[in-house]
Amino acid sequence: MQIRPILSTLRHHKLTAILLTLQVAFTCAIVCNVAFMVAKRVQRISVPTGIAENELSAISSSGIEKGENMQARQTADLAALRAIPGVRSAVAVSYSLPLNQSESSSGICPSKQALDRAMQLNSIDGSGCVQPASYDGTPGLIATLGLQLVAGRDFLPDEYVGKGKPAVAIITRALAQKMYPGRPALGQSMYDGDHFIRVVGIVDTLLRPALRKPGVDGDSLIWPQRPDGSGVTYVLRSAPQDRQRVLKAAEAALLQASPNRIIAPGQMQTYTQIRRAYFQRDTTMIGLLIASALGLLFVTALGIAGLANFWVQQRTRSIGIRRAIGATRGDILHYFQTENFLIVTAGVVLGVVLAVVLNLLLMTHYELPRLPLWYLPIGALALWALGQLSVLSPALRAAAVPPVVATRSV
Amino acid sequence: MFDYYLRLALRRCRQNVPMVLLLVLTMAIGIAACMTAMTIFRALSGAPLPGVSPYLYVATMDAREEVDKDNPDYKQPDSLLKLVDARVLVDAHRAVQQVAVAQSLTLLGDMDGRKSEQAYGLMAYGLAVQALGVPLRYGRPWTEAELAANAPVLVIDTHVAQKLFGTEDAVGRSVMLGQRSFRVIGVSGEWKPRVQIFNLAENAGSVMGQEENFFVPAQAALDAGVGPLIAGECGKGAPVVSFQSAAVAQCRWMETWVRLDTPSQLADYGRFLAGYADAQHDAGRFAYPPQAKLYGTQAWMTLNRVVPDDVHLNLMLAGAFLLLCLVNVAGLLAARFLRRQGDVAIRRALGASRRDVFVQHLVETGLLGLIGGALALPLTWLGLWIVRMQPVSYAEAARFSPGVFVILFALSVGVGLLVGILPAWRVCRQPPALQIKIA
Repeated sequence: MQIRPILSTLRHHKLTAILLTLQVAFTCAIVCNVAFMVAKRVQRISVPTGIAENELSAISSSGIEKGENMQARQTADLAALRAIPGVRSAVAVSYSLPLNQSESSSGICPSKQALDRAMQLNSIDGSGCVQPASYDGTPGLIATLGLQLVAGRDFLPDEYVGKGKPAVAIITRALAQKMYPGRPALGQSMYDGDHFIRVVGIVDTLLRPALRKPGVDGDSLIWPQRPDGSGVTYVLRSAPQDRQRVLKAAEAALLQASPNRIIAPGQMQTYTQIRRAYFQRDTTMIGLLIASALGLLFVTALGIAGLANFWVQQRTRSIGIRRAIGATRGDILHYFQTENFLIVTAGVVLGVVLAVVLNLLLMTHYELPRLPLWYLPIGALALWALGQLSVLSPALRAAAVPPVVATRSV
Repeated sequence: MFDYYLRLALRRCRQNVPMVLLLVLTMAIGIAACMTAMTIFRALSGAPLPGVSPYLYVATMDAREEVDKDNPDYKQPDSLLKLVDARVLVDAHRAVQQVAVAQSLTLLGDMDGRKSEQAYGLMAYGLAVQALGVPLRYGRPWTEAELAANAPVLVIDTHVAQKLFGTEDAVGRSVMLGQRSFRVIGVSGEWKPRVQIFNLAENAGSVMGQEENFFVPAQAALDAGVGPLIAGECGKGAPVVSFQSAAVAQCRWMETWVRLDTPSQLADYGRFLAGYADAQHDAGRFAYPPQAKLYGTQAWMTLNRVVPDDVHLNLMLAGAFLLLCLVNVAGLLAARFLRRQGDVAIRRALGASRRDVFVQHLVETGLLGLIGGALALPLTWLGLWIVRMQPVSYAEAARFSPGVFVILFALSVGVGLLVGILPAWRVCRQPPALQIKIA
């Protein structure tokens, strides 16, 4: 296929060709960036929490009776909950669960020296001290949540405290590596400013209740501490399909154990619901981004097809002449396909540059990382494919023009 | 001449219906996407309290009284103050108007205990009704004397009045708030900031403002055992603060808002605030250099990112979408116009000037733009409806307003003319002789 005749034809339609090129370029730039944003959000919402997500449900209760013995209340509640058919285990936590947004966190240092360093710097950055999310709960928390203990042991019954500071803690692997890089964290004594806390166990993953940034989202710490406020969240583990039923039964059981409490309807959730609620905005945004990317591609495809159609109509006579002097259908088909390929290629070259510029622009305004370069060739391929697909029907129509048209005047 | 061009344009539109449909639909989709995003953006970025909030400033300072090893830096300006500090700032009367407020969520009941209503309201020190521009329907706001005496008086809104007493004019009635009876001295109309402005540090993630159903002097409410919704930052050694406790003496829970009308008032008040804060630091009360600063409502909302980034991103995306639709339509129009060079050649040969040809084509594209705009109207409505169905915090902002019509109309004509400029210019550029040759 000779390119020169195509180029000289395009020269006659400079404005239209330039506009089409621009359109392809914009589409390429925007779609590459949108695809990247979608990928980032998908990555964000698929972060593992480290717990047995589809077997857990949570129900929160706040006592309204003054001076109630909370520990006794919890023990009785837990007994009632464990008696529900289908409940494999149940524990009470104060309020924190991964991704439920109720976070409690406080600073902790790998050693006393690190704390002194932090005080000197007047900042915890660079001192080795960190701010992990704190989790608490009644005995059996690790097993109920389904956490993977990779080193050390679970808490011993006599390590649990009600009020006051426990002497031991279990930390996540991410936190261990951050606080004690290059040495075993198990058995180390962390310092919180008042007490030394010994690390007795390390769990693989336990995500924070509220995400901050990827580097610190896995920094969590579990205290052997029973919840002692009037509000408490019970975590139930059951078979995935039993969860709704178990939640209803749990509400009834709790109200039967003591009617002096409030169980808000929004506070009875399966863990799947908790997770979905946390990422609600991201899911909506993903839908919107995908919809707009598809919309862009669709409009571009319409534009290419519309214009190609126009050109075919306009050139019916020249096509006829070409057919009459020996061009095959394939030649005509290829002519339009090559023409489209040239325009899209020009658009893609410009579009790749625009995509990078747009990404740099977005980086300055939003917390968006740099666009990985491999998005660009994929975007280019997608647009080539889109161009060829949209031009196919008009090109076939052109190929079907009979040579006899040459003898008629249009 | 204009209506001749218009008739011509209409006639031409009828000639190639699929093409015209493609053109107007592309424009309509672009305009609708842009309008949807713009409606939400406009609703969220306007003044939260029209006529009032542009003059309101919130006082911020690092008022922590203990060294906080977890957070030694004061990276984010903090608006929460203890009641004692808020009282000093309000009592100084150095601004045009001043009030310290905190949100509360509590049960309001009638005296028989038969009817009660859970309601959001503001606990305030200062003349809240005047300072915040609360519209009073009946009665009067509380006075400085009542405030000083911690008198049990309150202002409720018509909604609560209707619920408790079956009438809007509930002035003089008594309401149970906490453990005490409060006299209703005023009834307000609906008061709701369009966007969340109070206690942004703790209200992160909520975008839309909360309707406040009652206004009560803070100390009187505390005396009755009613505390703020969020106890804020409580110092060490404070009694354990539970949900909505009234034992908040050790806590920083109030925000001080002042009304300042002129730049010189702003500068003066800034100096006064800094002076007060520095004095507290020098006296050893505040542990850190206070860095006191006033923030205007809008700046405060921007700083706390009340309007989610997603909304900006949506707007940009919609803008890009519209741009692409425009390029698309311009390309198609160019092809469409150039195809009719023959007609133009004849008109030119008969004496039409380039300007005539240009205007004629612009009228045609303007008409297409208008049709596109008309089609965009139901599409925008559909877009807003879809957004309202989404469980996002700003869904309520996606409402059709009369202003939207005006913008939509202007946008569609503008779009029609804009896309037409290049193709129309191109078609009128060629000399008549050449065009006749082609024809």
